[in-house]
Amino acid sequence: MSEAHLTMGAHAAPPMEERPFAIPSKKLAMWLFIMADVMTFGACVVVYAFTRNATPEWPRPFRSVTNVAVMTLIMLTSALTMLMALRAAKMADKAKAFRWMMITAAGGVLFTLLHIRDWMGMMSQGVSLLQNPWGPAAFGAAFYSITGFSLLHISVGTIALIAVAIRYQGGRYNADDIEIVSIFWQFVGLVWLFIVPVVYLMNVAR
Amino acid sequence: MATAEGHGIGKYVAVYLCLLVVMALQFFIGYQNIAGSALVVRMLTFAVIETILVVLFWMNLGSEKPLFIKFIVFFTGFVLLTLNYGWTDSFRLLLFRLTGFGPS
Repeated sequence: MSEAHLTMGAHAAPPMEERPFAIPSKKLAMWLFIMADVMTFGACVVVYAFTRNATPEWPRPFRSVTNVAVMTLIMLTSALTMLMALRAAKMADKAKAFRWMMITAAGGVLFTLLHIRDWMGMMSQGVSLLQNPWGPAAFGAAFYSITGFSLLHISVGTIALIAVAIRYQGGRYNADDIEIVSIFWQFVGLVWLFIVPVVYLMNVAR
Repeated sequence: MATAEGHGIGKYVAVYLCLLVVMALQFFIGYQNIAGSALVVRMLTFAVIETILVVLFWMNLGSEKPLFIKFIVFFTGFVLLTLNYGWTDSFRLLLFRLTGFGPS
């Protein structure tokens, strides 16, 4: 029985159910959000696979995936630097945690710029939402929607990283808040690890 | 909420190196002349390995209570599996487009 219960004496409310997951509310909320987001991304990937499979002569336009390889390396490295920030925050090393978070955010900005560069390359080849030079019109819509959704997550994640880092530096947030944003950042990185094979590597020009 | 406490950075770096190796293999396979279904199976197998590594060690799900892990895995897995229920209909559409044989 909790201390609060004992002090309340005979007028105590019935005992509350024990928390089955033993997990803080903010962290549970982030995991629930991630579960919902997994469903959204899952639907995107399934629709992409459906469209690709149902469309004869689906284009394989990617002659070089060097840009994508660099983006992947940046994403994985920024996920690691985020963990460095989390570890520093758990050890109450505020300056170090802030520095690692800013390095992670820089990775996010660089990733976003390279992603836009990738899009510009596709647009210069005539790929739009409704048409492309290779035939099936659905290709452009599928490509931009699935990569765009990922780009949106990474951009928002980068802004969240900077905001949390500044508030952590100012003493308004603590290591628990960094752990929450870390879980989200690892998730967006994981989504990218699915997008690379499904969208790019299975459509390499041969 | 001290799931990362007590762990060295070594575990994170080891996972990072594993992920780099798996990604390199994926890029290598992407450039091989492998038929459609075999390519899909290989790519998804590698992606699942990456998911397990990231979720367990980088998102620290492995440090949570077993009941919470079961909750996440069961509900997410269930929805992802049921999402694929309608996917096989694309084979019917493909066959219809290629042969012209199907519903009018």
